[in-house]
Amino acid sequence: AVMAPGKKITARLKRTLPVRGPQAPTLSELMRWYCLNTNTHGCRRIVVSRGRLRRLLWILLTLSAVGLILWQCAELLMNYYSASVSVTVQFQKLPFPAVTICNINPYKYSAMKEYLSELDKETKKALETFYGFSEGKSKVRRSVDEWNSTGSNFFQQIPLLKVEDFSRMATDLHSGQKRKIEGSVFHKDSSIVNSGDSNDIIGFQLCDANNSSDCALYTFSSGVNAIQEWYKLHYMNIMAQIPLETKEKLSYSADDLLLTCFFDGLSCDKRHFTRFHHPLHGNCYTFNSGENGTILSTSTGGSEYGLQVVLYIDEADYNPFLVTSTGAKIIVHDQNEYPFIEDIGKEIETAAATSIGMHFTRSRKLSKPYSDCTETGADIPVENLYNKSYSLQICLHSCFQKAMVHSCGCAQYAQPLPAGAEYCNYKKNPNWMYCYYRLHEKFVKEQLGCQQICKDACSFKEWALTTSIAQWPSTVSEDWMLRVLSWDKGQKLNKKLNKTDLANLMVFYKDLNERFISENPANTLVILLSNFGGQLGLWMSCSVVCVIEIVEVFFIDSLSIVMRRQWQKAKKWWNDRKRGSSGKAPQASDVERQGHDNPVCIDEDLPTFTTALRLPLPQDSPLPRTPPPNYSTLRLETAFTEQLPDTLELGQH
Amino acid sequence: MNLKKYLVRALHRLQKGPGYTYKELLVWYCDNTNTHGPKRIIKEGPKKKLIWFFLTLLFASLVFWQWGILINTYLSYNVTSSLSIGFKTMKFPAVTVCNANPFKYSEVKHLLKELDRLIEAALERILQPTPGNGSENVSPPLDLELWNQLPLVLIDEHDKDNPVILDIFETNQTAGGNKTNVSDDTAGGKQSSCSHQGSDNCTYRNFTSAAQAVTEWYILQSTSILSKVPLHERIRMGYQAEDMILACLYGAEPCNYKNFTQIYHPDHGNCYIFNWGMDEEALNSSNPGAEFGLKLILDISQQDYIPYLSSAAGARLMLHQQKSFPFLKDQGIYAMAGTETSIGVVVDELERMGYPYSDCTMNGSDVPVKNLYSQYNTSYSIQACLRSCFQNHMVEICGCGHYMFPLPEGVNYCNNEDNPGWAYCYSSLRSSIKHRQICIDSCKETCNDTQYKMTISMADWPSEASEDWIFHILSYERDMSTNVTLDRNGIIKLNIYFQEYNYRTISESAATTIVWLLSSLGGQFGFWMGGSVLCLIEFGEIIIDSLWITIINVISWCKSLKQRRARARYPDAPPTVSELVEAHTNLGFQQEAAGALPRDEALPPEPGTPPPNYDSLRVQPLDVLGPDSDAE
Repeated sequence: AVMAPGKKITARLKRTLPVRGPQAPTLSELMRWYCLNTNTHGCRRIVVSRGRLRRLLWILLTLSAVGLILWQCAELLMNYYSASVSVTVQFQKLPFPAVTICNINPYKYSAMKEYLSELDKETKKALETFYGFSEGKSKVRRSVDEWNSTGSNFFQQIPLLKVEDFSRMATDLHSGQKRKIEGSVFHKDSSIVNSGDSNDIIGFQLCDANNSSDCALYTFSSGVNAIQEWYKLHYMNIMAQIPLETKEKLSYSADDLLLTCFFDGLSCDKRHFTRFHHPLHGNCYTFNSGENGTILSTSTGGSEYGLQVVLYIDEADYNPFLVTSTGAKIIVHDQNEYPFIEDIGKEIETAAATSIGMHFTRSRKLSKPYSDCTETGADIPVENLYNKSYSLQICLHSCFQKAMVHSCGCAQYAQPLPAGAEYCNYKKNPNWMYCYYRLHEKFVKEQLGCQQICKDACSFKEWALTTSIAQWPSTVSEDWMLRVLSWDKGQKLNKKLNKTDLANLMVFYKDLNERFISENPANTLVILLSNFGGQLGLWMSCSVVCVIEIVEVFFIDSLSIVMRRQWQKAKKWWNDRKRGSSGKAPQASDVERQGHDNPVCIDEDLPTFTTALRLPLPQDSPLPRTPPPNYSTLRLETAFTEQLPDTLELGQH
Repeated sequence: MNLKKYLVRALHRLQKGPGYTYKELLVWYCDNTNTHGPKRIIKEGPKKKLIWFFLTLLFASLVFWQWGILINTYLSYNVTSSLSIGFKTMKFPAVTVCNANPFKYSEVKHLLKELDRLIEAALERILQPTPGNGSENVSPPLDLELWNQLPLVLIDEHDKDNPVILDIFETNQTAGGNKTNVSDDTAGGKQSSCSHQGSDNCTYRNFTSAAQAVTEWYILQSTSILSKVPLHERIRMGYQAEDMILACLYGAEPCNYKNFTQIYHPDHGNCYIFNWGMDEEALNSSNPGAEFGLKLILDISQQDYIPYLSSAAGARLMLHQQKSFPFLKDQGIYAMAGTETSIGVVVDELERMGYPYSDCTMNGSDVPVKNLYSQYNTSYSIQACLRSCFQNHMVEICGCGHYMFPLPEGVNYCNNEDNPGWAYCYSSLRSSIKHRQICIDSCKETCNDTQYKMTISMADWPSEASEDWIFHILSYERDMSTNVTLDRNGIIKLNIYFQEYNYRTISESAATTIVWLLSSLGGQFGFWMGGSVLCLIEFGEIIIDSLWITIINVISWCKSLKQRRARARYPDAPPTVSELVEAHTNLGFQQEAAGALPRDEALPPEPGTPPPNYDSLRVQPLDVLGPDSDAE
């Protein structure tokens, strides 16, 4: 027979690497074959078992085993992203944290006089008119005169009001005229307004400069809060106009603040401190800021080996309206962290020795997908305005500042400036105060979305502080101590120190044990697979091989059987049609040739003895031929009841 | 001959085995093994055979790789921590209370008289640098012996390169000197210490603050003086329990100073420990809240403080475990006079596993430092280890022990007379990084770490309204007098109690045990190949079998070689016994060595009927078909 070369090659390929179909011609045969030959345990029982009840039992058992496997594996998968916590304690030399110390009062009151005199005068006036407070008769008389003569721009900008609750009428303190309150009333200080109380409520009104009818009234239950808040607003307004260099000069120098310094048994001085200007606390000084590249460390715990400083707090030079407490604020933080003094600072009392014992804990969380935290903050769409490593606090503040610049056009004084923005002040942004309050309201109510955007940092260091206070100096040592400290202070100070001007501070490690709390993935892939294997093996003695088998049998083979059926039907239908039209005889030979000696019937195996016999034999063979034994019957695989015509295709050439 | 017999027997045994050739063995193994992959290799057609072969290889390598990971994980000895928080009946912590001032000034005055006069005069000089100012010439002349051992000097560093050193009691100014560090522009109080009087080997310890310098100097001097005083005398000079502890109430039960154990602490003199658990059982507390805690009223009598020794006034207290030594400088807190200090306690425990999970010590017996605090009968702690380590170094280098730490046997405390250079030696040792590092490296932390987390709050006490009667009663009770002998500056109230949740325990357990390892290994093997330990044994069996086959092959090869040689001499060699046996039982199966065997050549000629070409016998059917298809 002459064949096209292409066909010849395909035919040869088919013979050498025969295309093997499914193990069985029908689905039920396939299932039977699978159950008998599979590596999993339950299935074989179903086929092998005798009796309907027993078979049913085995079917149920196998199915429940499959169900259990699926359930357990799903459980394993769902618990895959869980973390376990490990705590390690390491005893070692510990890096000493940065210690930032601020005076509670930001600027020397005496130096600030020229900027604040106007404001202070008006505050005093307000106190006088509201509460009848006066420092001295003559002063008041004079200031009242001044009031009348100069008029007040502060009260014009933000008037202080006395609100009569029922009538919704407010008395303007300055002009004395009554006005109806428009707009909304915010009770800034008290959530519960005791309306039954006939006391007047004091507050101030903020109006939209462009639209004077849109006003918000902020009321406080106590005049102390109202005056302080009102003062602060104006104060910030004034400070925003002063350049940073001037402000640094107005605040305390390191020499002013630090009287003595002692670290790890050695004397230290102002050169060990780095200045850091905080908008609300003036000049702060950071010990061991790591600025010159070296970070001090302690190799011994205990109060003698830590930082000991005596601070000079000049109580007489405090701003009476801005700050009402005396002392210093300190914060213990990492060198890379920004010290949020106003948020988490600890207050230090004067005339006392405050001893702060530290205990160091380092924590590490796993980031995505275990928990929603950020490693560096780079994946958070908020620009870090602080020049320090990311923290949630930084993110929230930056986010607010951004929103402020965006909606008010200027930046809030207490936070760093974004590029290209400048601090708010009345001259340029007459409307900022109103805008700020509105925005802050929104921020607190989580309407700005900052709380949603910002994530917490994955790793953080924490110094747990144990603070205790002792009287210092003791009554018997007070005398010489104050004398020597006054001498230390030197020529700049000509008065004798008072003990309420001094604060002694000791910061030390209680122990050198570093606690490291870290999350570890509870499951690795290896363990997950092991657990899978355990489950599969326990219930059904199954492995990946079984899974492949299942895929092969249930998907590929079953599909191909179904497809073959369909193909046969289609072919038959086509042939019928063709025969119907052409009247050709049916290919009966196909059926006849079905049998054990049909080479294509034994397609499951390689071409065998029988196929070989079908090949033309040498004619002059001298040996007599015995008929070949029909060994095919021995083979289980071929013992199917039905042979499908398409397996015969090979023989039809 | 014996060996030969044995080999023959072995051969027989092998013949019962799965096969005689490697190939048969392999096929047999693949067919009969319980692992899932190999069976497929031989059961499938050539294409799938190939796929299955690679799949099996892949799975096997995966299994081995993951086993490696698992074993590595196991050997890293990870731990998991579990945290438990809650309230349970717990031992109330031991409470140590001390006065911040070690001795009553009235008692030690006679010892420190010279020193105090010296420092007063020195301060006079410092504060009023011009001599002959006022009536400072006190009648008795100053004893300059103390001074000369360790003088205070002023270092004027206005001129950086040539600082002026000014001895306070001498007017002559000496320039230069080997200062350790130039530090300040303004004149400050400096302290110098020489290793030997008059020698050049001096260091100046400089301070930027005179207050600091004076305090440090005074401590050094008084240490030297007091170290000569015997211990019982020192205890007598300190505060007595009955004077200090005015009132005590534990829960609803009254207690008094007799419930406290006295201990002498070098820093703070007499300290008193409540509930130390040394002699009697430790007290339990089964209720949270201040009502069920310890309430103490202490008198620190601030008027009797040594003025130059401690400038902070208050009580020093510390909570610690039973039978442990209180290290007040490290863990202690202050309580201020004239206040009520409430301390809420949470016991923060950390229970760790020892070696190899973490490097900690259970009882300190494996630490190479002699624990000097064991003389107090206290348990090991890292602080005790560090201090003992320092003291041991001190004794080794300076020849005497430091006053602040316990003494090893046969060593005395340092004092200026016996060890004139000790202050220099001590300060150089103290600032030596090397020695600190040695101590840090040799000490280990304890495995069970208990800390008492305190929430401290303070209020003024007594209130102005109640002040009078409280002072009156307390004075009456202590001194049996109707006069008020106490005042605000000396009196302290303390409340120590458990908080609502009184423990937080972090306990470690091994993350990977041997059971975990085995089940993970089994899981991996089962997951990829459906295998178990039995499969490994099977595999081992096959390896042994193949070894046997190799041995047999080698033997038969050797034999054939011998036979060939023998045949060279005698063309018709008689067959050996083993050969006969082999030939008998092993008809034509030894194909590997078939060429070498003469027996093959001697096979009978082919019979008329060709042997039936059974499918099952054919191992390589491709070869049969190949030429046929070509012929077509």
